[in-house]
Amino acid sequence: MVRVEDCFLKLGPKTKFYCEKFYAPPKSRIALWGPSGCGKSTLLNLISGLLRPDRGKIVVNGIEITSMSESKLDQFRGENIGFIFQTFNLLPPFTALQNVVLGMRFSDTIPSSEWKKNAKNLLNYVGLGNRLNNKPSQLSVGEQQRVAIARAVANKQKLIVADEPTGSLDPKTANSVMDLLLKLCEEQNLTLLLVTHDKGIAERLPQIYDCSNLVNEEVEV
Amino acid sequence: MTLWGIAWGYLWNRKFTTFLTILSVALAVALISSVLTLREETRKRFEEEGQAFDLVVGAKGSPLQLVLSSVYFMDNPTGNIPWTVYEQIKNDKEYVQSAYPIALGDNFQGFRIVGTDASLFEHKWISPISGEERHPFKLKEGKIFDKPFEAVLGALVARETGLNIGDTFISSHGFIKLPEMLGGHDHEQHPYTVVGIFDYSNSPFDRAIFTSVNSVWDIHGEHHEEKHEENQDSKEESDIKYEEWGKDPHSMITAVLVQLQSPALRFQYREMIRESTVAMSATPVEEISKLFEQFLGTAKTVLLAVGYLVVIISALSIMIGLYLAIIQRRRDLAIMRALGASRIEIFGSVLIEAFWVTALGILAGYFLGGIISHIVGYYLSQKYGLSITSFILTSEHITSFATVAVVGLLAGIIPAWQAYKRNIARDLMEL
Repeated sequence: MVRVEDCFLKLGPKTKFYCEKFYAPPKSRIALWGPSGCGKSTLLNLISGLLRPDRGKIVVNGIEITSMSESKLDQFRGENIGFIFQTFNLLPPFTALQNVVLGMRFSDTIPSSEWKKNAKNLLNYVGLGNRLNNKPSQLSVGEQQRVAIARAVANKQKLIVADEPTGSLDPKTANSVMDLLLKLCEEQNLTLLLVTHDKGIAERLPQIYDCSNLVNEEVEV
Repeated sequence: MTLWGIAWGYLWNRKFTTFLTILSVALAVALISSVLTLREETRKRFEEEGQAFDLVVGAKGSPLQLVLSSVYFMDNPTGNIPWTVYEQIKNDKEYVQSAYPIALGDNFQGFRIVGTDASLFEHKWISPISGEERHPFKLKEGKIFDKPFEAVLGALVARETGLNIGDTFISSHGFIKLPEMLGGHDHEQHPYTVVGIFDYSNSPFDRAIFTSVNSVWDIHGEHHEEKHEENQDSKEESDIKYEEWGKDPHSMITAVLVQLQSPALRFQYREMIRESTVAMSATPVEEISKLFEQFLGTAKTVLLAVGYLVVIISALSIMIGLYLAIIQRRRDLAIMRALGASRIEIFGSVLIEAFWVTALGILAGYFLGGIISHIVGYYLSQKYGLSITSFILTSEHITSFATVAVVGLLAGIIPAWQAYKRNIARDLMEL
């Protein structure tokens, strides 16, 4: 599903990111774990095409994204990768339903006539069928994360990238969000790459990838 | 959900700022729109009324003053001309279709008393603007005067004075009601009796009181004789007033309104008047056009310049507003990019916000301008009997609105470009 090889990115005058090899097979669920600033989010951003490496190869869903044009990459991202961020996941002016619809708006995967119906089904699935018309400010942080989870799979994406999705939640809510995410991945055979610095959260996933050594000042170009 | 909807969502999310920005655009557009509307409508109405007569013949002086005083009842007359001039013109059937005497001198509550011939009320003409026949002298009630000191009121006079058929009123000397210490005096010996009221014609005639020329002559002849008898010490003053009406008061009038056999004869007949009489003539339409092109043209330019200056200030407020909004919601833009939105779509959504603000500002400004025009139009109709249409859309309006739209969109380009080139990975990691 995801393959990263010999990937190098200069982050600052002396700071460099280097990943020799990372592989995530289809349906795998991997925690990218490490301390703050170790490069785990950078790896996730490279995999999702939000950052471009200076050198190396990244293949997602069988397609090498490093050589893609910007517009193709935008389209690829919309169709293949679902995002969940730590916080402020949702667009404030729009309701929960509209935020999920927005997940389908920028790609051609789902016909526009089905956007609303699909979004309602997904929100029902994450337990927010009664909060369709609530704006993010009217939802708790946990509910906002649930909406983000629904949006991340709105285009039937097979790869979910989650950057500290429980970082802003209390332990109980964090567990329920993790339960939902893992259940969804299990039921829909999704690949999950989840960035966390929390060992407890990382250990809930079948695989942990240690990112401790991705960023340093010693790497030779 | 379209980009239009997304842009609208963000504008709605900051309603107050959006409202203020739209308001600033609207005020600028209202100023521009009302200036264009009022100028165009007053020009049309003045020209339409000006077309009522081919020429005005009166005492030598300013042609514009002659036209304003005798056709629009707005200015003081240039002086008086002998009655014989009127007779000469009226009998010149080769050139003249109809001619009507106008004798001014008095007012009632500020409304001018116009001595004329009853044949004026048969006068009709084709409006070059609407193409319809204009006949402003339709009686609403009563009859036309046929005896001395009978008067027919214009519709506005009747409404504002409350006079009805059978009522009497005392006229005052001059064109405005003056206190006695400033020379104002009433002609108490000769009250007028209202015998008729005209229907509304949306013309200056609505603000006039019509009577026979004889009535005006009688009042002034007798009145000034009385003044001589009552106050020998003010002989000089009385003589001046007497001269105002000529040595023989029965021989002087203020002007002659002339309808020629053809408008093509205007220039030729003006020359003939100049050569064969002591009077001068003026073409109402030409004088009004000059007025609008020269004096009012400059006023229009100044007001439009102010309007466009406000447009530029509004454009700056659109730009600053959007720029700050982009900085505030950089994470939202990054999320949209993560969801698959292209740079062009982000650019477009910001530009659409500028479009919404500008378009709504133009729309609101057009209606606000219409309201302003309506209020000013009401004043004009009360003051001069000119009714104007408040909501018009001329090519000048469309050009100015298009200019505002382009300026508004240009104001959106810089913030849209800022949004276009943002680093999404950095924006996502910042918060």
